[in-house]
Amino acid sequence: MNIDLEWRNFDVLVIGSGGAGTNAAETAAKAGASVLLVAKDPLSASDTKISEGIATVRASGSEDDSEEALSENLKIAGSDLPVEEITSAFAKDSQTAYDKYRENGLRPEISSITKGPNSLPLPMGGHTRRRSVGHKNSGLAFGHANWNAIVKENKIEYLEDCWVIDLVTSEYDDGGRKVEGAIIYDAQKGKLLAICAPSVVMAAGGLSTLYFPKTDTMRGNTGDSYAIAARAGAELVDMEQTQFLPFCLTSPPSFEGLLGGEPVTASYLGVLRDKNKKVILDGVYLRTRAECSAAIMKAVEDGRGTPNGGAYLDMRANKRAPKSGTYFMKFLQNSLPSAYNNVRQAMNKKEAQCDELWEVRPSAHYMMGGIRVDENGQSIAGKKSNNGVRGLYAAGQAMGGLFGANRLGSTSLTEGAVFGSRAGFAAALYSRNFNKNKLNKDLFLKEAYKLNNLLGQMGTKHASQLKILVQKECWNNLGPIRDKKRLKKTQQFISQCRKELKKVQIGKNLLWNQSLIEYLELVNMIDTAELMTHAALERDGSVGGHVRADCKDLSIFSKPYSTVVKVRKSHIEVSKIDRKRTELKKLVEFKFKEQKRFLEAKLLRLLPMKFKDAIIEKRYKKIMGSKEKAPPLEPGSIEAAVGDQKVL
Amino acid sequence: MNRRLQNNSEYLEVTIIAHKEGQDLPTKFKYKKRNEKEKPMALDVLLQAQENQLPDLAFRYGCRARNCGVCTIDINGKPRIACRAVVRDGDELKAMSTLPVITDLIVRRDQISRQLKGKIYEGGRKNDLNVEASEDYHELTSCIECYACLDNCPMHEKNFSEIKNDQDYFQWGNPFSLLKLQTIATDPVSTVVRREAAVSAALELGLETCLDCPGCKCGVGIDLKGKVIKPLLQNSKLVD
Ligand SMILES: Cc1cc2nc3c(=O)[nH]c(=O)nc-3n(C[C@H](O)[C@H](O)[C@H](O)COP(=O)(O)OP(=O)(O)OC[C@H]3O[C@@H](n4cnc5c(N)ncnc54)[C@H](O)[C@@H]3O)c2cc1C
Ligand code: SF4
Ligand code: SF4
Ligand code: FES
Repeated sequence: MNIDLEWRNFDVLVIGSGGAGTNAAETAAKAGASVLLVAKDPLSASDTKISEGIATVRASGSEDDSEEALSENLKIAGSDLPVEEITSAFAKDSQTAYDKYRENGLRPEISSITKGPNSLPLPMGGHTRRRSVGHKNSGLAFGHANWNAIVKENKIEYLEDCWVIDLVTSEYDDGGRKVEGAIIYDAQKGKLLAICAPSVVMAAGGLSTLYFPKTDTMRGNTGDSYAIAARAGAELVDMEQTQFLPFCLTSPPSFEGLLGGEPVTASYLGVLRDKNKKVILDGVYLRTRAECSAAIMKAVEDGRGTPNGGAYLDMRANKRAPKSGTYFMKFLQNSLPSAYNNVRQAMNKKEAQCDELWEVRPSAHYMMGGIRVDENGQSIAGKKSNNGVRGLYAAGQAMGGLFGANRLGSTSLTEGAVFGSRAGFAAALYSRNFNKNKLNKDLFLKEAYKLNNLLGQMGTKHASQLKILVQKECWNNLGPIRDKKRLKKTQQFISQCRKELKKVQIGKNLLWNQSLIEYLELVNMIDTAELMTHAALERDGSVGGHVRADCKDLSIFSKPYSTVVKVRKSHIEVSKIDRKRTELKKLVEFKFKEQKRFLEAKLLRLLPMKFKDAIIEKRYKKIMGSKEKAPPLEPGSIEAAVGDQKVL
Repeated sequence: MNRRLQNNSEYLEVTIIAHKEGQDLPTKFKYKKRNEKEKPMALDVLLQAQENQLPDLAFRYGCRARNCGVCTIDINGKPRIACRAVVRDGDELKAMSTLPVITDLIVRRDQISRQLKGKIYEGGRKNDLNVEASEDYHELTSCIECYACLDNCPMHEKNFSEIKNDQDYFQWGNPFSLLKLQTIATDPVSTVVRREAAVSAALELGLETCLDCPGCKCGVGIDLKGKVIKPLLQNSKLVD
């Protein structure tokens, strides 16, 4: 069989046109590299574009916001799983990285005091300082900036509708692997591309589509970043750390999975109820997302779930309070405008007014783990953090090590810019060591033949339909609550599923072959899910986004570690790496503050209505200020779930 | 009477026009409502069709919430954002007619962005960036790039009638491209040179076509006529 391959040479190949990929491409091009940016979605269509558009900019709200303060904030919030070099890099670059979006047209409000970007009015919960900057048009403003960055440059070549299938690697002198380039399926033109490039920046986003339709992210999050990097030999860290948002919508289908509220917006008197209206969790506003999600899923498991497999969020008490009740609706509407907008469209009037219960269910939002890298995005491996796959860089949601067990709010857009730029620069420098014309053609041909053999595969199964089964399995057994038995079940399911792959029918044409696209994404979903099960089994305790129903919570005083997974020839290798624990004194202080808050919440609930009402009214006034407008919250951020915060 | 009966039925029947190798392939599809009251969006119908009847049906979507702008299709011949367009019994779903169809409901989109390649000029740096943009600037950046505005645009139509266009990019412009150029013109950070370059780029794309056009319409409600076309025509001195 002859393959129609198009061969191209570049210094740097960037995968993904969200915030991370765009910044990588722009920086690499500025450093003099020839750059190809490819994405499977149209240019700039990404999680970055559909986000709430709130970004962390150090010292935007207060002068005393040092790099150390921000770095430590991230580390403690992530239960000490984050890597200090990486959190420090984030803190060091947040301002310059944010300015790169501004150079491409992002225009925030300017503060009359600092004369710089205006941060939101409150030092938001999880952050120890005011440093989150909101934007008109939310993520769309970032989408335009990214679009401009690529289109304005004559230096950057870009291709959309292109699915990166696999990296091509070769053996390095010391026995490790090194990048040679990638095989890419260009669906739009109907051909296969052999892209030879010594450096590749992986910025292909997350994996929440493993849980579709129980997700609020883009369709393309099929775990491609992780699966492709792992197949090339890279190590992944913290792959059990999935962030679920507990209060997402269950119906109608067009709104299923989209955000409804966050623990904080359930406000002081919100509770969760099962289908019999029995309270299953109170003090919701102080709870972690994982706690809320686990409570919901527990009820479902016991047969007390609501018709669509969730629970009821009851916020009526907030509204009934004679004085504070009037503030509550304003608080709800202003603090999460996009979520409330979903509610208004999806629910009936009484529900939207919180006079009736909301049916809610968790949704996958973000993967905190990812490709194991150093502070420049370079793949690393082993106990001593040596070289991983040489020439492989990762940035954005694809990388791990910045957030650990929990993501501090409004940090991901900044993450994309900080590590996109760093990875782009490092990739450009590294590529200078290579002679472009020295090409290992056979390695590419081998990968291309694999793909060619798939075309025209006969069978009775359809990848798009198998995907749905994988999504169900991930939701049921690798979802917001997990235990050993279920994780083992998922592993069995996956090996069964691999056998089915041979029975999948795949069309023979190359021009936009949807059956091939579905197949490629299905394989990535299966590979990613399998890696996740290994990490989730290794972490035999609950921490952050990982809830093990069959184990205890991991104490914050225990020795922190990250899980590492790696694909070997015949098996998946799992290990742990130790992380540095924050000073004991600081942790004790935190524990104390947490207990105090819970106690206060309990006392508040027990007070007679008259007193309770007056106290709550005062609190709303404090949050909303004179304008009676609550500052917006970012879904998934720590301030939207104060229970997740580790520093007050 | 019929209408009411249909509304309450368990099913909703639509025609999905797939497309392979230059040929339209219509299929009738019965959408099973999840409850009587459900008013499905076009995207719900496509997803269910893929699940139950047309496993390899190709269509674009991303966010399901009218943010990413990639899901636009024609419903009964008019461009609609599929994730937020309610479908009715008898509707016909088809690829957007204003862009080249690749397969099924997928159109090629990148000939639009490529026509601006190298024409968007670099903004300011560091402290120059600390200025606020006008309301107009923010209205223009609320564009989700859905390309619904291409419908009935005589300038864009020239790409298919006047010239044989097999290039990587379209020679003639469209409302979206003009919006991008006008965004530069309203950006407080833009220098005079940059503003002028944006206007001449608009002229190159065929801005004069707008002179005898009743004006364009945006899928998410941006005032294209008032905030894009009018100022561009004025700044280019095509009108005063
Ligand atoms: C609803 C929502 C609200 C959010 N709000 C905020 C917020 O306010 N603040 C904040 O900081 N964060 C927020 N986040 C999180 C943040 O948006 C994302 O984490 C971040 O944008 C990820 O950026 P990225 O560049 O890593 O990936 P993405 O922006 O997701 O980009 C991924 C890119 O990779 C491409 N791709 C994927 N697979 C392949 C493949 N195989 N081949 C080629 N290309 C591929 C895609 O086409 C896309 O271009 C929010 C997320 C969501 C979903
Ligand atoms: S006014 Fe100009 S851009 Fe708008 S539809 Fe008419 S010709 Fe097209
Ligand atoms: S201007 Fe309006 S219709 Fe045109 S692409 Fe933008 S959002 Fe869509
Ligand atoms: S799917 Fe994103 S706009 Fe429709």
